[in-house]
Amino acid sequence: MTVNTTVCPRCDAENVRILTTSPVPGRWSMHVCNTCVYSWRSTEPSSVTDPPAYPPEFKIAPAEIPHLPATPAVPRRR
Amino acid sequence: MAYADLREFLATLDRSGQLLTYSDAVDPEPGMSAAARAVANLTDRGPALVFENINGYEPGRSRVVLNLVGSWPNHALMLGLDKDTAIKDQFFEFARRWEAFPGPVERRDEAPWQEVTVGGDIDLFRLLPLFRLNTYDVGCYIDKACVISRDPDDPEDFGKQNVGIYRIQVKDKDRLGIQPLAAHDLGLHLRHAEERGENLPIVIAIGNEPVITTVAGMPLAYDQSEYEMAAAIQGAPYPITKAPATGLDVPWGCEVVIEGEIIAGEREIEGPFGEFTGHYSGARRQPVVKVHRVAHRTDPIYEHLYIGKPWTEMDYTVALNTSVVLYRQLKAEFPEVAAVNAMYTQGLLGIISVRQRFGGFAKAVGLRAMTVPHGLAYCKVIIMVDDTVDPFNLPQVMWALSVYYHPFYDTVIVPNVSVLALDPSSEPAGITHKVVLDATTPAPPETRGHYTQLVGNPEGTAEWEDIIRRLLR
Repeated sequence: MTVNTTVCPRCDAENVRILTTSPVPGRWSMHVCNTCVYSWRSTEPSSVTDPPAYPPEFKIAPAEIPHLPATPAVPRRR
Repeated sequence: MAYADLREFLATLDRSGQLLTYSDAVDPEPGMSAAARAVANLTDRGPALVFENINGYEPGRSRVVLNLVGSWPNHALMLGLDKDTAIKDQFFEFARRWEAFPGPVERRDEAPWQEVTVGGDIDLFRLLPLFRLNTYDVGCYIDKACVISRDPDDPEDFGKQNVGIYRIQVKDKDRLGIQPLAAHDLGLHLRHAEERGENLPIVIAIGNEPVITTVAGMPLAYDQSEYEMAAAIQGAPYPITKAPATGLDVPWGCEVVIEGEIIAGEREIEGPFGEFTGHYSGARRQPVVKVHRVAHRTDPIYEHLYIGKPWTEMDYTVALNTSVVLYRQLKAEFPEVAAVNAMYTQGLLGIISVRQRFGGFAKAVGLRAMTVPHGLAYCKVIIMVDDTVDPFNLPQVMWALSVYYHPFYDTVIVPNVSVLALDPSSEPAGITHKVVLDATTPAPPETRGHYTQLVGNPEGTAEWEDIIRRLLR
């Protein structure tokens, strides 16, 4: 099976890089999206690595991200 | 009984038949999470799980421990009690030991976690077998570490130094997301730091003996030291050692010490994460941690916690520490309170047994539970029962509800009050109605109902309980 290493399964951004690789070489690689910080491992099921298989209720549009609430809010400087 | 470290507790679990070691190869996902979910589904007397052959890591050198305190026998062993100790007896023992607070701490210069130091090229994924817990978590989380911080406005105050458990998303090799809510002690420390325009130094201590992680999840007062509480609960001085870069006090016995700082003013997308409510949390913009330094034992053990729909290990770890806090606060004003069982979804639902002084008294105690500090975010449903009912015995509680509770007279609804925002029923998030269900026997001036001919135990029942218990051993 070919592992998706280019498109974020969650936000569909083509802004993905290799996060790390297995300490024992060749076993797996991990990938992370620079847009929504979603990460996945090459050995995981396609339900969490394949953009079309990722469930719509867990998807996020990159444009939504800056508008997510900040918790806790950043206080004013004294 | 004080356990020096995680390894000593694991040895006790092993001797007691409460540890299961799985040596076959597993992928990081989804096997280990599924196993932790499975053991919680099967029994409330289950073992801790050890995985020692994880795909991608050297067999035997990278170990994962799950479900450490995820059963009543393991909880009893944590307290140094017989593993068959009843829940109610564990509750009263926990409450009794609290009386020794504040216990002493013991400062030590050298600690096992000083064996290996990583100053540059930190990669937490290579150091620890991190893995995704629930299918639609945004990534790998650390969710059972002690997070230690001090109040930047009062850094010398040992009591205000906080040890808490916070969910931590591992976003990169040396970059983390963290969830210090405004009401948390860490949230207050961060607020003070950000008001000063400073980063907040923190330590993340992974792989501890179980008492400090249990105390770290306890709703203590802001200036009460978790180390001094751990000493009281353990019945022995609590050993701590200074972390070199931050100067924060960390548990002497831990496996891994991660030092870093929360970056002032920065918020970045974090979540979703499968939470203790049995629902995912959604995504928010939350603070970010930059890791500067890691120290660890040789071949450190990664102790981790599966969390999801109750019951999971988390429910056992917060069950009695939450119940005892509510019990003490209520009993200070109402000595008639006999016991408190607030172990359902961290106390969103609680059961209080009380000796009625007069009609309406139990309802007042139930309402008071909603306004103690923990109650402001929890205690959405409070069930009141007589002091003759064991609130930890759900069949007894259901019996009381079925025959003493009258829907017309015994329901008190409090509209539009605060609750934790993670409660998926709250609308808007963080606001809910709350209810007291009074299942106590009506007391004068209330005389309704037909309760004068209660069926008691046949004579000698208590003695027979002892005989049968002995025969069953």
